[in-house]
Amino acid sequence: MKAKISLLLLAFSAMPAFSQQQVETQPPASELAPPSQAAAVKLPSALQWVQRLSSSLKELNFDTSFVVVRNNRAEPYRWLHGVEENNELELLTLLNGPRKESIRIDNNVSYFESDNPPYTVNSSAISGPIPRAFSGNVEKLQQSYDFITVGKSRILGRPAQLIRLECKDKQRFGYWLWLDIQSGLLLKAAVISRNGELLEQIQFTHLLITEHSNDLLKQLITVELPSPAASIAKPIALPWQVNWLPSGFELVNSNRGLLSTINEQVESLMYNDGLVDVSIYVSRSDEAARQASINQTGATVLLSQLREGYEINVVGKIPANTALQIAESVSFN
Amino acid sequence: MSENKFEAVSSLLDQHDIDVDLLDEVKDDDKLNDSWGRYHLIGDIMRGESADFIDLELNQNIAVAIAAEPTLLAPKARLNFTQQVKAKVVHLIKPAGQFAIAASAAGLMVLGVQQANVEEQITAVPAQVWQPLPFGGVADPVSYNFATKAQPSQKQATIERQKRLHAILSDHNMQIKLKSSNAIKAIGATESDVPEQEFNN
Repeated sequence: MKAKISLLLLAFSAMPAFSQQQVETQPPASELAPPSQAAAVKLPSALQWVQRLSSSLKELNFDTSFVVVRNNRAEPYRWLHGVEENNELELLTLLNGPRKESIRIDNNVSYFESDNPPYTVNSSAISGPIPRAFSGNVEKLQQSYDFITVGKSRILGRPAQLIRLECKDKQRFGYWLWLDIQSGLLLKAAVISRNGELLEQIQFTHLLITEHSNDLLKQLITVELPSPAASIAKPIALPWQVNWLPSGFELVNSNRGLLSTINEQVESLMYNDGLVDVSIYVSRSDEAARQASINQTGATVLLSQLREGYEINVVGKIPANTALQIAESVSFN
Repeated sequence: MSENKFEAVSSLLDQHDIDVDLLDEVKDDDKLNDSWGRYHLIGDIMRGESADFIDLELNQNIAVAIAAEPTLLAPKARLNFTQQVKAKVVHLIKPAGQFAIAASAAGLMVLGVQQANVEEQITAVPAQVWQPLPFGGVADPVSYNFATKAQPSQKQATIERQKRLHAILSDHNMQIKLKSSNAIKAIGATESDVPEQEFNN
């Protein structure tokens, strides 16, 4: 009986505390600061959340699985990360279809794919469904994106904080990130168009954070991996230029090579804004000029245009309109 | 009021022994009446059936607390702001769900167009052999160069274009992988010097 009453007391004693909290969160009349600023004083900012994600991705030992959903197709992955004897170890495996594995030991990433001989490149993050930017320099993203704290929800059975990365110039897609309040790790991510269309999403299905790294990862240290390919920074002069890109995009690569499956010579430039990669491919073509056509898988847009005897293709996770503007801006010497 | 009266009410509530006299007493006595109601509430809370009631009480108490607050301009604006944000989010999430289906239906599957699809298209061709199509172009689907010379049909041109787009897409993905983190920092053109085999995808 007494237990019953004390329970009731507990229920009601919560009420004054609640109303007190109401009082606390109300700023005094003298401070007529915008509401968003007032909130920022108390809670971690959106930038801090993303910074925490970045450090959690580098420091925590985790064993997780996620599914990438695009165009009614779901691709399941397993992702392991750990720190062992000051070595950062990472393993990403595609679970369906032909084997595809990526192994990272510190700054060497080795890719094992069924249709390619294995190779190693110098990079501080695996290139996969999770943008590399999240474990890198997130401050750089602020050039092109606004970070917004939205609200809390429950993802993967855990309390999660939703952070939105909204681009400043309407030329890019927005990223919604649901971050684990406890660990700061990613629980769900979505690529959303300006109209609110859901283009692509990553849903984590399992997350295990441990004190020590997984045994499977420890074995990676002893595994023989292909030696890294030497990369020589050597600019190639191409007989064409891209004259317009949304602000924040920087040239990262220029290339002249063969497209293997069709054995055709192409030239390409790649740009990056910290989060998104955009490639522009140009090749000679004797076909008649053709209107721009758009193909889209998930958030990846491939725009193809034929003019002045050249075929121009723009690929990347950008809206079709942006891709068209980029293609239109290509000029030939 | 004696302690055992309350205990009697409690046991009455639990339907241990139903005493008609006690029931009358509870009905007439304000204090017993009150505890009767309170015990019911306790039972409801313990069974988790009291959500509505608690809500009502909370709302009332909050309303009273708010009414007692001095009138401020800023908090009102703040309330409106959060409401706006909430309304916006709900608005955005709903279309997102609906559009997901539309987008996936409308989006062309570049990746889906692969070898299997090509072969499927080709096997359909022999039935149309009577058509005035250049025989070479039809019978030799592997060599697209040959087909190009012999003026390919619309279908083949589409297949070829899709194959091309697919090649570009895989090359783009490959280039992303090859791009080292150092190259991201460097502004200016760089070339990844990798063996030809690696470039091919």
